[in-house]
Amino acid sequence: MTGRLLAETDVRRAAAMLGRRDVLRLAGLAAAAGLVPGGCAGLPDDLAAPPDAELRVLTPRTYAVFTAAAARLVGPAGAELIRARRPDVGVQADRFLANAPETAGPLRQALLVLEFAVWPLAPKLRPFTSLAAPAQDAVLGALMRSRFDLARQIFGGVRSLAYFAFYGARESRLLTGYPGPFGSDAVTIGDAMVERDAEFVP
Amino acid sequence: MAAILAEAGLDVVVLEAGPRLETDDFTGDEAAMTQRLYGMAVAAGSGLAVYAGRCVGGSTVINDALCFRPPPEILASWRDEYGLTGLTDAAFAPPVDAVWHDVHVVPTDRAHLNRNAHRLGVGAERLGWAASATPRNVKDCANLGLCNLGCPSGAKQSTLLTYVPRAERAGARVLAGVRAERVRVEGGRVLGVVATRLGDDGGPRGRLTVDAPLVCLAAGVLGTPALLQRSGLPAGDGVQFHTSVHVSARFREPIHGYYGPTMAYAVHELSDVNGHAGPGVMIESVAGHPLVTAPTIPGFGAEHAAVMANLPYLARALVVIRDRTRGHIDADGALHYDPLPADLERLRAGMIGAARAYLAAGALEVYVPVHGVAPLRSEVDLARVEALALAPSRFALVYAVHLFGGATMGGGASAPCDETGAHRAARGLYVTDAAGLPSNTGVNPQITIMANALRIGHGIVATRGR
Repeated sequence: MTGRLLAETDVRRAAAMLGRRDVLRLAGLAAAAGLVPGGCAGLPDDLAAPPDAELRVLTPRTYAVFTAAAARLVGPAGAELIRARRPDVGVQADRFLANAPETAGPLRQALLVLEFAVWPLAPKLRPFTSLAAPAQDAVLGALMRSRFDLARQIFGGVRSLAYFAFYGARESRLLTGYPGPFGSDAVTIGDAMVERDAEFVP
Repeated sequence: MAAILAEAGLDVVVLEAGPRLETDDFTGDEAAMTQRLYGMAVAAGSGLAVYAGRCVGGSTVINDALCFRPPPEILASWRDEYGLTGLTDAAFAPPVDAVWHDVHVVPTDRAHLNRNAHRLGVGAERLGWAASATPRNVKDCANLGLCNLGCPSGAKQSTLLTYVPRAERAGARVLAGVRAERVRVEGGRVLGVVATRLGDDGGPRGRLTVDAPLVCLAAGVLGTPALLQRSGLPAGDGVQFHTSVHVSARFREPIHGYYGPTMAYAVHELSDVNGHAGPGVMIESVAGHPLVTAPTIPGFGAEHAAVMANLPYLARALVVIRDRTRGHIDADGALHYDPLPADLERLRAGMIGAARAYLAAGALEVYVPVHGVAPLRSEVDLARVEALALAPSRFALVYAVHLFGGATMGGGASAPCDETGAHRAARGLYVTDAAGLPSNTGVNPQITIMANALRIGHGIVATRGR
């Protein structure tokens, strides 16, 4: 079991940390200040969920925030796949959260904070989804390096969910070279075993 | 436990909250198997994640098959510090030997060593460190690299393939998808268990009551202490883990760390058991599938993706420490566990140790799981790890494996259970899992846990009717 370091575990870990009242208070303040618009007003079209997505946990807005953040977290080539919805990380994340209700609320709140938080928590004055990619990277980097524990936790929660949704999907194997669980024509299980001419065999 | 009792002629019912999956159900799909087989919890405050098997066969279905005998220093400590005077090396040897045989523990030979293990071994050898291939409980291992997702070849001899069928052959009934809610106790005597039947979605589907004059709890450290407290019985203190992080290293040649035994090699140099005098750290080779690797690589974006693009060239090691931290579990399952500064220092020592081994083995870059730490390329770079301010939230991922305590055995009346595993407040009630162990073990504990269950089971049979 020791080897099974779970992205899912990390999502839950981060979610529990995010479950603090601080996050709820931040989200509540944002809502009270009118910073949290209802529905999907103002969202870029390319971040909209497919009509047949049938989201159970994420709203159109949190789907969009998560998709935008995941695209930045996985790097340029992964972002292209996410833009093509191969995989649809928002749908994958929604499925995960639907099966993990204890994490759903905190992560949804974290996504709202990521979208609407402003300085000093995040270096921006506009919603995350409206920012250009370099500005989104700057926000994520600031959260990761923040002196505020809460900011680091928000980053950790969204990051973990993004990696779970992306690297758990078959399509991401294109970018990692993972041949799949039982080997492939190009890479066999034998290729992983210790070489015949190894200088030292433990 | 169920096998021992059923073979002694008792009418045994086993309740398991998780599903029953068989070998053919194990697909090797990381995301799907993870969600079906694992149960998890998170410590309030520190955010430390812990996990355990949640299926028939429990954590033996999802562990990495590593087998260690209980270290003598640990048994001595249980005797001297916790008053378990009967748990000597000699007294514990027979059940350990029995488990060793029953789950088919064998040495790991050259045919079952992958490059991932080899690179760690080469580094340890060049540093002159104590290290070795590790015995595993397997038969005809096909090197699939899926031990911890449910072994699809049936090679790993988990309890799903050993003790559970043996119990069923002796007449035990195993009910999956049934969650024990509380133990029924009246007048200091156990009467049975109240449980909930669960649907495929995990939702409740009705109540089940079991009448039984003998109840053996093995709900795991995440379950047993809470179950006892919900039953009005003392428990919850003394929880202890083996906290862990992962270190990865990129080599010039392919490693393909996702194939071959998920774990098979251990560096003992920094351990503080089995005669070693280190700070209390084991460094063990560990598989490198994409889903488990991604969160352990620090940072994000293009730099993170560049490391992931080199997945076939990554070797990975688990740094697992023997914690000194103690925690608590509440009746509702809430977990409290804040790593002591000394345990964070053990993680630091482990990260540096793993990095040194990989650099000695010729790694081009080493990645320690702390955000903001650039890849290490030489011994000089280790100073950056020395200088880090460590806190749980600064790790890319820190978590705990190997869970102990919460309903511990002890010689004193303050321990919930006595040396036989019997709960002091309810006659007929036994704690038979790792919740009863008074401390962590410093090595992978499955043999110790199963041997203790056998010991308790034989004790119950021997005293039955008295």
